[in-house]
Amino acid sequence: MSTLAQEFSKGIFKENPIFRLLLGMCPTLAVSITAINGFGMGVAALFVLLGSNLVIAALRNFIPSKVRIPAYILIIATFVTIVDMVLNAFTPDLHKALGIFIPLIVVNCIILGRAEAFARKNSVARSVIDALGMGVGFTLSLTILGIIRELFGKGSIFGVGVMGSAFEPMGILATAPGAFITLGIMLGFVNFMFKRLGIE
Amino acid sequence: MRNALRMALTLLIIGAICGGLLSVVNGITAPIIKDRADQQFLQALEGFFPDVAKFEVQDINGEEFYSCYDAAGKFMGVVGKVKAKGYGGDIAYDLAVNDTGDIIGMRIGAHNETPGIGDVINKDPFLQKIIGLKFTDPISAGVDVDTTSGATVSTGGMISSIRRVMNVIGENFLGMEVEKAEIDLTKVADGTYTGKARGFKSDITVQVVVSGGKITQIEIVSHDDTPGISDNAIKGMIPKIIEAQSLEVDMVSGATLTSQGIVNAVFEALK
Repeated sequence: MSTLAQEFSKGIFKENPIFRLLLGMCPTLAVSITAINGFGMGVAALFVLLGSNLVIAALRNFIPSKVRIPAYILIIATFVTIVDMVLNAFTPDLHKALGIFIPLIVVNCIILGRAEAFARKNSVARSVIDALGMGVGFTLSLTILGIIRELFGKGSIFGVGVMGSAFEPMGILATAPGAFITLGIMLGFVNFMFKRLGIE
Repeated sequence: MRNALRMALTLLIIGAICGGLLSVVNGITAPIIKDRADQQFLQALEGFFPDVAKFEVQDINGEEFYSCYDAAGKFMGVVGKVKAKGYGGDIAYDLAVNDTGDIIGMRIGAHNETPGIGDVINKDPFLQKIIGLKFTDPISAGVDVDTTSGATVSTGGMISSIRRVMNVIGENFLGMEVEKAEIDLTKVADGTYTGKARGFKSDITVQVVVSGGKITQIEIVSHDDTPGISDNAIKGMIPKIIEAQSLEVDMVSGATLTSQGIVNAVFEALK
């Protein structure tokens, strides 16, 4: 059995949901326009993942396996709705920028995937660590994509201009094709690094 | 069987707990969200009343009116979010009227008026004509406010709508008497009367026959309104007025200006 530290780090490196598992591509491509949007989306998903993994692991002996999927969806949808309401109340700008992709966290395959593949077979403590690792991995990856796209697409990072006035923004990076291009380059880079370091 | 029951119960319990949790969170966040929406609207109202600190919404016939108050709670005026009939459909606009019944601002919102023609309603020369008008002014196309030639439908629609909104605001918020086109028929001697009032394009002339204190016949002597559209108004309004023996009747939709013109002409004839 792997240690808790390994459980945490797998979500960031070996089983990074975006760069290794290629899960949750829809919000990834759509909201990584700026660093802050990517970060916000990541944290929202992290919170939902944490809550759903915790509750599902705690109830794993209580929920009959035949109705586990509707039960998981209920639990996940509850956390997503809470996130939606809290973001709307306290960070209206971020809520507006993320828009429909907050409610759509319900069907984000990372979250149901972790519930099905991990939380229902593991203890609460392990499930929480797993959720933290996966959530941080998702947040980091989204933020990296957001930084790249914002830096070259708009000439700023987290809304702060860094490229100077002579810089001509590459508008395509802020659009949907730019999301695919950036993600593709990042996937290639990550795969290359993993080969280089001999991790498989 | 026992299994099915257990499954259903499990889902029921989870659903109930989730629902309860959501209503708690909603109880906390909903007032904050509403406060902010109000705050944003307050900023929009500040464009008309810079000192506005509080507002109240009132719905009158499907249109929203916002009474504005300053920090001391003094009534400052009303902003109506209202609609006019234009050439390309409804023109949404905000009309701000202060506590003495003067128009202090107008903001045109969504409209489908022809660019370069009907959109004069959103340009300064037209807006300047409107701002400063008083409740007691006639606010009538061709009387105290000129329509813009080439865009009579858009500007005329706006002017008659502003008169209507002014009446609503005056009556409901400012305690103003709205002059109603009402006639005391018992004081009208028998006979045939002729009256004239502005319809949609120009004057409508009517001949009204009164006998035994009753309107018995109304005839349109001449009019210049759109054939096919104004016909509905003529066919609809005359029996309505005769049946009600009153000028307080509903307008024929799609031909409100002609309908109003007929009512006004009958009023002119009998007054």
